Amino acid sequence: MLQVKAGQVEKMALLFERYHRPLYGFFYHSNGHPATSEDLVQNVFYRMLKYRHTFTGEGEFRTWMYHLARNVLADAAKKNKPSAHHQDIADWAEKLAGGPTADAGLQQAQDVELLHQALGQLSAEQREVLVLSRFQELKYEQIAQLLDTTVGAVKVRAHRALGQLKNIYLKLENGSKQEL
Amino acid sequence: MEANRNCESVQPELLGWLAGDLSAADQRAVEAHLAQCPACQQELTAVRQLWDALGTVPTPEPSEQLRPRFYSMLAEFQAAEVQKHRWSVAGLLERLREWWQPAYALRLAYSVALLVVGLVVGYGLKGRPETVGPDSPPLAAASQPASNPAAVQQVHLLEQLANPSAVQRLKAVSNAEEVAPTNERVLAALLSTLNQDPNVNVRLAALEVLSSLTEEPMVRQGLIKSLTQQDSPLVQSALADLMVQLQDRRSVRPLRKLLQQENLNQQVKSKIEQSIETLSNDQAPHPSTPPTSHETHPDIRSDLAPTVAA
Repeated sequence: MLQVKAGQVEKMALLFERYHRPLYGFFYHSNGHPATSEDLVQNVFYRMLKYRHTFTGEGEFRTWMYHLARNVLADAAKKNKPSAHHQDIADWAEKLAGGPTADAGLQQAQDVELLHQALGQLSAEQREVLVLSRFQELKYEQIAQLLDTTVGAVKVRAHRALGQLKNIYLKLENGSKQEL
Repeated sequence: MEANRNCESVQPELLGWLAGDLSAADQRAVEAHLAQCPACQQELTAVRQLWDALGTVPTPEPSEQLRPRFYSMLAEFQAAEVQKHRWSVAGLLERLREWWQPAYALRLAYSVALLVVGLVVGYGLKGRPETVGPDSPPLAAASQPASNPAAVQQVHLLEQLANPSAVQRLKAVSNAEEVAPTNERVLAALLSTLNQDPNVNVRLAALEVLSSLTEEPMVRQGLIKSLTQQDSPLVQSALADLMVQLQDRRSVRPLRKLLQQENLNQQVKSKIEQSIETLSNDQAPHPSTPPTSHETHPDIRSDLAPTVAA
């Protein structure tokens, strides 16, 4: 990234190849919307180019990247696009109810979907911590830096988020069972 | 350190413990607590299950459009960046540096020196006639024997043509006919008066004198050239008339050019059109009609221009 900053804009391609998947994952798990997530990834790379002078090289590149990504996500949320997570839970319940749940494989797929749904129902703050630590595999230290808080606070937030996720998951599970 | 941590303080650490994201001290403390607390072991199992399950939530692959979109954005950005750089001060300096070679320094110095010399000489030439008083020996006389009365008269005439008073200049123009009508210098001065005198009457008088001298090729050429230099409708139409009289087809081109001038007087316009028609019809086509702009006498004109213009 320092090379990009020094004017070798074409080096951005390397960064794209290395990070577009994790970034896409970050957005996808945050808003559950594939097409929007791609737009946001594009947006992040654009901002990286535009604001490359703000990268000091002191912190880690990934932290800076997720910093931009969070801003992009927040901006997108302001534009009031309802996230897919919240959009069609009823749809999902229907789909799940209709599926042949006897099959163990499908059962697992269903669990995963439920979990995905549950993730979507977390508050943005809680979801963010989980997404960053589980899917983006950032260390507490990095997350703390990113969120401008302490490692202890991140730990607590992650712990609570996971507890909340569990609650939502169980609720969803009960809901879908009742529909059967 | 705190070997005896309670469940409440340990549970938030379980996630970190799973992810291997704890300090060595914390890790030891958590492990020590886990070893003796069945409740926390249970909690750990639950956390691990959920954590692992979360790991199985798949991240779909981005579509195939993502990559080309990125690269076209990058290319666009680069192009914009190059454009910006081109016009920034740093970019301009850089290009100047690329272009600049040490040899240019000498050339530039030489050019500047020449320019300065030119300016000094030009200023000197322009300045002198103005500083010449009525009693001091006239400049032009230097090249002529002072005893020759014709020459003295001629110089006097040239001086008078440069007189600030229009009446004096009018007088000079009418004198010119008597003094030395065919002298090149006088003719050039008259032509110059025709083209540049601020007073329309003086210009018309000069035209009148010149129209009787059209046998001189220099006068003809000067008159044709003068067509495009006039802005007064009076002089324009007088010149157009004269051209018809002279039957000089070379004047058609400058006349056409004159027609293109904006704010041309309507009457003059029709007169010129008429003249062009007459000139084009009445005479067989001239074999060669060189552009008049090549027919001036720069040596004479530039020599005298300062005198007359002053």
